Amino acid sequence: MLSYSFLIHALLGAILSGISLAILSPFVTLKKIAYMGEALSHIAFAGIALALLLSLNLTLTTVIFVLAVAGLIGFVSRFFQTEETNVITIFLSIAMALGIVLISLKKDYSFDLASYLFGNVLLVTKTDLWSLGLLAILNTAFIVLLYKELFYLIYNMTMAEVFGIRVKTVYYAFLLLLALNIVISVKIAGIILVTAQLILPASIAFRLVKRLKPAIVISVIVSLFSSLIGFYLSWVFNLPTGAVIVLVEFVLYLLSLILYRKSQKQAQ
Amino acid sequence: MIEFRNINYRINLKYILENINLTIADNEFVAIIGPNGAGKSTLIKILLNIVSDYEGKVLIDGRTNTDWLKDNRIGYLPQKEDFDRQFPASVLELVLMGSAATKGLFRRFSTDDRKQAEQALDEVGILSLKAQQIGSLSGGEWQRLLLARALLTGSKYLILDEPEAGIDKPGVTNFFDLLAALHKQGKTIITISHDLHMLNKYCTFLVCLNRTLHCHTETDLLTAEHIHNTFGDGVKLIEKDY
Repeated sequence: MLSYSFLIHALLGAILSGISLAILSPFVTLKKIAYMGEALSHIAFAGIALALLLSLNLTLTTVIFVLAVAGLIGFVSRFFQTEETNVITIFLSIAMALGIVLISLKKDYSFDLASYLFGNVLLVTKTDLWSLGLLAILNTAFIVLLYKELFYLIYNMTMAEVFGIRVKTVYYAFLLLLALNIVISVKIAGIILVTAQLILPASIAFRLVKRLKPAIVISVIVSLFSSLIGFYLSWVFNLPTGAVIVLVEFVLYLLSLILYRKSQKQAQ
Repeated sequence: MIEFRNINYRINLKYILENINLTIADNEFVAIIGPNGAGKSTLIKILLNIVSDYEGKVLIDGRTNTDWLKDNRIGYLPQKEDFDRQFPASVLELVLMGSAATKGLFRRFSTDDRKQAEQALDEVGILSLKAQQIGSLSGGEWQRLLLARALLTGSKYLILDEPEAGIDKPGVTNFFDLLAALHKQGKTIITISHDLHMLNKYCTFLVCLNRTLHCHTETDLLTAEHIHNTFGDGVKLIEKDY
């Protein structure tokens, strides 16, 4: 099967995208900003639509669009003193609506909703692979170099500030990195897989270990394993790769819950 | 020395703190007392710059608090620290938070940092718990962990917001004994508390606060009138012994 270069590209794309998101997964889960991840991936849809309509560079346009909307969300919630979750929901809906309108304006383009939801790893290009590879390195470097600050900001941001830790700058940098990951991954993996890869690996890891560093390692292993198995199963049964990877991760999540219950009972 | 000068703090036109002028000298063991909603925690949060939209000036060692806090830390024990009980941190990892700022960005904790954190845990008597997950601690152990973290800042100021909350009575006595020992070592301690018996035994300076200052005096000079002015007529002083 791997004699086809597009299949190798697809497999590498799924693995690299999975690793990148899985590294961030424990931080996203503990800071309880998984919702932000999902919102950004929906907002990216409008960015993609805008790039398609105006025939602009897809990645660059989407990155700029997502960052601009993320900034707008922050501004609106602070300036008008509105609950941030509500503002995110409003902008998420507007972005989806705008995306659909923009897609409909591009008459010669037949839009495939499934590829937007689940991505299309079979269309991964060499440029995509380079982007994903660089992103995986960037994520790893970010986590390794700023682990201390990230650890305390997800524990309690106010207290971290009281103790003089420069968490605000690190938090904004983290959100920026998260937006970049989502934009680059959503084209290949789709909204559903991006959201799943941000939540499921860490949710599985924290059922198995009680420390952050091992949880990061387990998240990456879970993501790698589910990408490989999901990819293989999707090839054997001719199913959409992104969707099968999500289902494999869900099965692993169920297993982790069973293991957790067993260990709790044994502890009692 | 800590100085609050003409502090006013309002929320929606309602005064939470009004015209607070207070000087706290170094090496005092200060207690701030007052009923619920008196603005005690807010005063502390103003000092720590957690609350910043107030009128007036706060000086620490002659510099504004915002300026002083740029290159100094205050050892702080909050009344309630919001965290997930399942949060994957050990006691030692959370204590190290006290020295994280001095390390700066991009630098990891060294063996020496860990040794200092262990010393702080030893000082408060919970070194044996260093590997435990923070969610598994009892109320007394948790307060000692927070005290160890505050000590690790190396600050001469220790500020505690109702440290006796969630601890049994013998635990409170032990905790205040520990604070007294730190006071003897030269720390300036400011604590908010409702336990007048403990404060009378350990503190050297008392601040009575109920939106405005009702007294700021040496503990020995505290009278029943001060208490009634601060808490209202419905409060009676009852002597109790542990």
